[in-house]
Amino acid sequence: MSTEQSTEQTRSRGGSGAFSGATRWVENLNDTQFAYLLLTPTLLLLGVISIWPLLSTFIMSFQADSIRGAAQIGEFVGLENYIGVLSGAYNTVVLPQPFFDLSSPFTSALIVTFIFVVISVSFETLIGFGQALVLDQDFRGRRWVRVAIILPWAIPLVIQGLIFYLLFQPGISFLPDMLYNLFGGLGWSQTPLVSSSNALLIVILADIWKTSAFMALLILAGLQSVDRSLYDVAKVAGASKWQSFKLITFPLVLPTVLVAMLFRTIQAARVYGLIETMASCTTVPSLSCLVVSTFSVRRYGTAAAIAFITAAIIAVIVSVYIIKFRDEGGV
Amino acid sequence: MASEGGTATRSSDSDSQGGYEGWVQSSIQNPDRAYRAAFYVVMIFFLVTTLFPLYWLFILAVTPNNMISNMGLLPKGFNPGAFVEVFTTLPFHWYMFNSFILALITTVIVLILASLAGYVFGRFDFKGRGALMLLILAISYFPPAAFLLPLFRLFTGNIEILGLSSPMLYNTPGALFLPFSALSLPLAIFILTTFYAQIPDGLEDAARVEGTTRLGALFRVIVPLSAPGVATAAVLTFIWVYNEFFFSFLMVDGQAKNWAPIVWGILGYQGQYSASYNLMAAAGLIGVLPIAILVVIAQEKIVSGLTAGALKE
Repeated sequence: MSTEQSTEQTRSRGGSGAFSGATRWVENLNDTQFAYLLLTPTLLLLGVISIWPLLSTFIMSFQADSIRGAAQIGEFVGLENYIGVLSGAYNTVVLPQPFFDLSSPFTSALIVTFIFVVISVSFETLIGFGQALVLDQDFRGRRWVRVAIILPWAIPLVIQGLIFYLLFQPGISFLPDMLYNLFGGLGWSQTPLVSSSNALLIVILADIWKTSAFMALLILAGLQSVDRSLYDVAKVAGASKWQSFKLITFPLVLPTVLVAMLFRTIQAARVYGLIETMASCTTVPSLSCLVVSTFSVRRYGTAAAIAFITAAIIAVIVSVYIIKFRDEGGV
Repeated sequence: MASEGGTATRSSDSDSQGGYEGWVQSSIQNPDRAYRAAFYVVMIFFLVTTLFPLYWLFILAVTPNNMISNMGLLPKGFNPGAFVEVFTTLPFHWYMFNSFILALITTVIVLILASLAGYVFGRFDFKGRGALMLLILAISYFPPAAFLLPLFRLFTGNIEILGLSSPMLYNTPGALFLPFSALSLPLAIFILTTFYAQIPDGLEDAARVEGTTRLGALFRVIVPLSAPGVATAAVLTFIWVYNEFFFSFLMVDGQAKNWAPIVWGILGYQGQYSASYNLMAAAGLIGVLPIAILVVIAQEKIVSGLTAGALKE
């Protein structure tokens, strides 16, 4: 009874004029209308800054390049750009580096991106898991160890690139000579940052350094949400540390790990900035590199087609993850 | 030995049994010791590998530039002057200031929009919810380059809308924080969605029964209760912007007065002053400093925020 009264009072005290009118209008919307009202600013921003550019790029991918002349883009050519890129017809003519060419694996975009994604994501998951297990323990100075291990994740990409450039630049660092003496026989170059295969490995190393920390952060969050009493039960039941890891920690944290891997794979498949700041897109051409380098010579149609091929590849990977791991939960 | 228990073993192993064999012996009898030792070895390994690259910048920064050749693990000479020269050679402080302001503006926009969107996705079941969430996720599949040409034309005043040409945003903060906001929004929405979804319906109902309006319930009950989530989203967005490369690189001409962020400060040293390795390294270290301080302050928040978010799944 009293609740009802106070409700009435507050409502009427809501004031007069436009404000209360607006409030009443909002109160009377149904759930769906209210939801869309709150989503309007988000959809407006995404619409103008993300969705409209994507649609516009999508249309460009069906148009011919127009390298010279006033018009920035040529006539409608249907799937020609896609076919040209995927079939290899564009490889030497239009693209600075091939899209896919088995005879030069370290300079063809699809293979380079694939190697980068597989190696970096698997190492980052393993190392990140290891780091998270360390950070999950109780020990003195944990706060600072945690800061130190997480720190690389927060370091700006351009500085990360700078660090590894300075580490592998001959003449500055001891590393190139040392590596050449050790692995020169195996084909390691004296100037690793201009050799495609070596530079790819260095870019992967730089990525592992930074992004393992990100994986550690996400996996640590997963570890910390595991119910501690489960470990007490395991201890009472006489389980060893390995057994309690295998039977409690691992299965409970697996969904988090999979989500983290999914996010990481999406990011890794779009690698560009790290390559540009450390080596160059001509040395290590990833898919995104190919988009930018065709874009910068005004081949907008081709660039748009490669961008959409990249997105399609990522969509396939995401679907595989989701279908394969749906049963594990979380994704 | 075994009967003496843990503490006694630790104090007496070196003198009574001595050396490696003794250690192995006592480890077998007391596996926790072995775990502990392995744990410290692994921890130190991780610390060395994560901190070495930063130490490398330090070595180069304090070595006088003419002494830099085939650097080993120690600096040659000591020249802290590089940390001052960084600001006089290029206006590096302005690049950092620009990055800072851009990150702040983006964080505010993203938090407001993501709070509203996360609330809707987390607490309402409405028509089109699944499709919209998928759409927002799918935007993150595209390489940033896929947005570039239309956005570039939009921001340079080359697009006509209803007879009006778009505003000239190139070389202004708008050309940067708009794409930053749009691209970092999805992650913030997903974080806040899980947070808002966890708040018991009862609390919101109680507020409504007490006479609060719908929006009042959101900002007076739901948002304060999800403060850890909002803080996590804020820190992640801020760091994301400070880290961003692609649009920071392409949407300004690189001059500090035209809002070029830190990317251009570092690239300035890598390009224009490419022989000044000590300045490059010093600029790198200085650029890391603010973000390192943020991590020190916020690390507990980030982890606990993500943990609370993960609980629901």
